[in-house]
Amino acid sequence: MDFSALAAQLNAGAILPEGIVIITLITVLVGDLIGGRASSRWTPYLAIAGLFAAIVALVYQWDTANPIAFLGGFNSDALSVVFRGIIVLSAMITVPMSIRYVEQSGTSLAEFIVILMTATLGGMVLSGADELVTIFVALETLSISSYLLTGYMKRDPRSNEAALKYLLIGAASSAIFLYGVSLLYGLSGGQTRLSAIAAQLAADSSDAPIGLVVALVFVIAGIAFKIAAVPFHQWTPDVYEGSPTPVVAFLSVGSKAAGFALAIRLLVSVFPLVSEQWHFVFTALAILSMVLGNVVALAQTSMKRLLAYSSIAQAGFVMIGLIVGTEAGYASMVFYLLVYLFMNLGGFTCVILFSLRTGTDQISEYSGLYQKDPLLTLGLSICLLSLGGIPPLAGFFGKLYIFWAGWQAGAYGLVLVGLITSVISIYYYIRVIKMMVVKEPQEMSDSVKNYPPMRWNLPGMRPLQVSLVVALVATSLAGILSNPLFTLANDSITHTPLLKAAIAEQAAAMVSHTETVETIAIAPQ
Amino acid sequence: MTLAEGVQLVSFGLLAAMMIAAALGVVLLSNIVYSAFLLGIVFVSISGMYVLLNAGFVAAAQILIYVGAVNVLILFGIMLVNKREDFAPVRRAWLGKVATGAVCLGLFALLSTMVLGTPWALSSEAAIGDGATVMIGLHFFSDFLLPFELASVLLLIALVGAIILARREFIPDEMPQDTVGDALKLPERPRELVPASRDGAES
Amino acid sequence: MIQLEYFLLLAAALFCIGIYGLVTSRNVIRVLMSIELMLNAVNLNLMAFSNYLDPASATGQVFTVFVITIAAAEASVGLAIVLSIYRNRDTVDMEQFNLLKW
Repeated sequence: MDFSALAAQLNAGAILPEGIVIITLITVLVGDLIGGRASSRWTPYLAIAGLFAAIVALVYQWDTANPIAFLGGFNSDALSVVFRGIIVLSAMITVPMSIRYVEQSGTSLAEFIVILMTATLGGMVLSGADELVTIFVALETLSISSYLLTGYMKRDPRSNEAALKYLLIGAASSAIFLYGVSLLYGLSGGQTRLSAIAAQLAADSSDAPIGLVVALVFVIAGIAFKIAAVPFHQWTPDVYEGSPTPVVAFLSVGSKAAGFALAIRLLVSVFPLVSEQWHFVFTALAILSMVLGNVVALAQTSMKRLLAYSSIAQAGFVMIGLIVGTEAGYASMVFYLLVYLFMNLGGFTCVILFSLRTGTDQISEYSGLYQKDPLLTLGLSICLLSLGGIPPLAGFFGKLYIFWAGWQAGAYGLVLVGLITSVISIYYYIRVIKMMVVKEPQEMSDSVKNYPPMRWNLPGMRPLQVSLVVALVATSLAGILSNPLFTLANDSITHTPLLKAAIAEQAAAMVSHTETVETIAIAPQ
Repeated sequence: MTLAEGVQLVSFGLLAAMMIAAALGVVLLSNIVYSAFLLGIVFVSISGMYVLLNAGFVAAAQILIYVGAVNVLILFGIMLVNKREDFAPVRRAWLGKVATGAVCLGLFALLSTMVLGTPWALSSEAAIGDGATVMIGLHFFSDFLLPFELASVLLLIALVGAIILARREFIPDEMPQDTVGDALKLPERPRELVPASRDGAES
Repeated sequence: MIQLEYFLLLAAALFCIGIYGLVTSRNVIRVLMSIELMLNAVNLNLMAFSNYLDPASATGQVFTVFVITIAAAEASVGLAIVLSIYRNRDTVDMEQFNLLKW
């Protein structure tokens, strides 16, 4: 194999967006090294520009003729492009909201951004990885940089503790995941590419060999940890409460999206033989996540813990799309994640703003906020209502699409659980809003009484405002103008060969539902 | 059975016994320093296994990285947090230990049933032996190029991040809030001001 | 002749010992060591598969090299986090880390 043939086979253009992220990351790191403390004026904007360039590059990757790169190690199909887009976008909104937060905590900004971008990079490669080694390395890149980000406020004992718990649980779960992966390598007789593994397993196996089931269970433990599904959610509330809020914002969207990308690719391509088993396990995980996440959220007193449990519950909703496995199911997952990105990041921006002013995250401290800061109240209310699924906000359409897809595919039980728990969830979101809006001036909490006047001209406040406004506009408009997002989500599924094959198989398996599969392209009204 | 095979079998038995005993020591002994040294023995015996598995390069890498770096790092960690600490006893801790032990035994039983019950597709090709080093290099620069490059970024960031977290910073107790000028200064006190007694008291 | 199954059983035993240590240890550093044991069990699995099922292309050895690399990175990050929490809390006892509800 000579060099030019090798270069053609590597098809390195497929990772152009990742390359842009790496170059930006190194520029920020070196620039900070040379420029010293003064460089924090421009590094965040350079990072945002680099992430934006990565998104532009991703747009050009859409529907590329030759998506397979690195001799099958990386797959730049439409599904991976959409998930990489979600991850980059979440990082791009997280960077501006972290500038002020990091500055105020007295830690250095450039390293924070660099580590955040590494996590983004890991998530991006994970979304496209099509081979066990790449999956593992990308997963660890994402995880290790998340541990570092979690513990970044190192003088805060809560941040330390969150980082330690995250690291220990995360490392253990990745070791378990890896054991499952090593079994896959053995069962397939020494293959590491997902398609080759699937072919080998299908060629030489009876139905559901025990080795494959064990590998499946171990692999699911790793995936469920990343998407924080009950009962692998233990770390979530602690890590969300303890770590710096911008990091939580990224973890709740970017890291979770990467976990879902991994789940779709790995489960759909490698485990069709035990598809009944993994559907069963994921149904259990989804029901537990929806019920436990929403019910425990009722009892929370800290805003960040509330959002942690709410994110567990949202992961449960998204899993419905994965379980039904129809075209609409996958498309609704992508659509919901897109919408969730904006509403959740918007919510976290408001929490950051509030805690920057008052230094607390307690829900009771929010009481009477409307009197002092109507903009923040409005922002937080819109995002929480959208998370709760109140029309006409974006979250409503996301939930509607998922439940519609589930109903069409006959997953009535799951959809009913989802409906009931989302009614419960509206209660705790409304409780926060009521706290902010309805209270009389004399019932105001102390921190709201001492609320400092708005100073948008402080360094780092403008970007925070920009990301708040972007997230708010997207959350309110995505509901009304959701058609482009619908089209994007649907296209990303129909243009992915892997999913097309899986959907066809699913359709063949469920003959009684053939008609629903044909009517899928219609968006719910 | 030829003599070489007998030697292999005996050395496998020895290494296996050594590895399991040392691993049990790592998790069961109460003195953390003994555990750390026993961990080194586990690593060395696994490296011996790799030699039995015709993988000299990885055996060397195992010794260099696990014993030379990870184990030494762990020993350094123990030294740095060296505090004779008698953990306050937790009531009915033994119950948890017994339950965990039972679960682990069950898991082992499950895994061994799986191992023995699966028809592994044994290959009859000749082992590549010492040619593996060349082969690994070829893999790194062809089909495993992407993880190879990604791992380099990961190592860089792990380095940067570990230094950030482990470096001592000495910050005044109260950070000046909302002052534009101060926010951009490096909030670190000169090193001399640090009382050395903190370390002394701990050791 | 040594069978593939011997190595796999050994790896399974090491993995279970690692899990036992992970759950029962009070000392954070011992928990990190238990994780290293688990990763080594995985490596042994991979190397055994590589030798018996895929001897010509050495993919498993490449995988093992990656696992070793990343385990080293993880250990260094883990110890850095342990050091920073030890500075703030002055203990390495898992039971004492209860600032956040576990």
